[in-house]
Amino acid sequence: MAEVLVVIPAYNEELNIERVVDNLIRNYPQFDYVVVNDGSRDKTAEICRRKGYHLLDLPVNLGLAGGFQAGLKYAYRHHYSYAIQFDGDGQHRPEFIQAMRDKMEEGYDIVIGSRFVTEKKPRTLRMLGSNLISAAIRLTTGVRIKDPTSGMRMFSRKMVEEFALSLNYGPEPDTVSYLLKQGAKVAEVQVRMDERIAGESYLNPVNAMKYMSKMLFSILFIQNFRKRDKRYRKKEGGKQS
Amino acid sequence: MTMVLRVVLIVMSVLVLVVMFRKIRQAKARIEDSMFWVFFALLLVLFSVFPGAADWLSGLVGTMSTANFIFLLMIFLLLVKSFSMSLRISQLETRLKDLVQRIALDNNDREEEKEEKDS
Repeated sequence: MAEVLVVIPAYNEELNIERVVDNLIRNYPQFDYVVVNDGSRDKTAEICRRKGYHLLDLPVNLGLAGGFQAGLKYAYRHHYSYAIQFDGDGQHRPEFIQAMRDKMEEGYDIVIGSRFVTEKKPRTLRMLGSNLISAAIRLTTGVRIKDPTSGMRMFSRKMVEEFALSLNYGPEPDTVSYLLKQGAKVAEVQVRMDERIAGESYLNPVNAMKYMSKMLFSILFIQNFRKRDKRYRKKEGGKQS
Repeated sequence: MTMVLRVVLIVMSVLVLVVMFRKIRQAKARIEDSMFWVFFALLLVLFSVFPGAADWLSGLVGTMSTANFIFLLMIFLLLVKSFSMSLRISQLETRLKDLVQRIALDNNDREEEKEEKDS
């Protein structure tokens, strides 16, 4: 069994899933993967079954948080050391997984595949949202996360357990912010991402606005009132880079 | 309270009671869940039949008129109810999510076991 599990949440990704998973199997056999079909209405599950992929087939749609958590429960059940969140639409590139895994070795809890460690952030409306979230995280935790909305995040064994077994651990920037505040160590590794090749993104302007306001409100306000399960609390507190 | 308001309250309350009891008879509502509505309706009937009680409470709270007091009380009770329902929905969704994940994980276990045996 491999050490890294690639969790691929897929919702209506019949146009992309084959390309994404075949690429992983062919070129990156050192990583295990599992596709989480989040109650898709299209042929996603059928394709996975036909191709014999490792598949978690959720009978109803739970949304990204529920689907991703199912993947982490799988990682937890099968004792993987690391799990990485990897989009089913092909925008994440597997050649960066190894670099992120190597970074984990330095003792980080979460490593974010970031578009803006060495590259400059473009000045678009979407990146304005990203900047706002960065600022909110900086304000509440004192840590600078350059690409908080990147969906490519790797989690340590300890984090996998915590994410798998707890409530309100969605794979979103507000959870990262909360964990930072709790003393988790988070690093960023430069990656490149592709535009989605086929299928429809759910991120239209209205949804993007909703997402931004939800995240900002959550990070700036709600997360401050959370209490972490004492199983996961660390005795030594310390700042992180 | 005007006579009209009292009549309206009584009629509405009786309607609520009738509907609720019917739902219970048809086994479409749990007794626990009907309690709130039965209590709510009875309270309004009580205030309509004995407006003195409502007047007294209204004076105690300091609302301008008894009708205002009735509205305030209804809004308050409904807020509490919707709050508790919101909590319950959260709980239910969490349980549903856990069940769905569990089904998928267990199915996966079975499939992979089968594959191992086959190969």
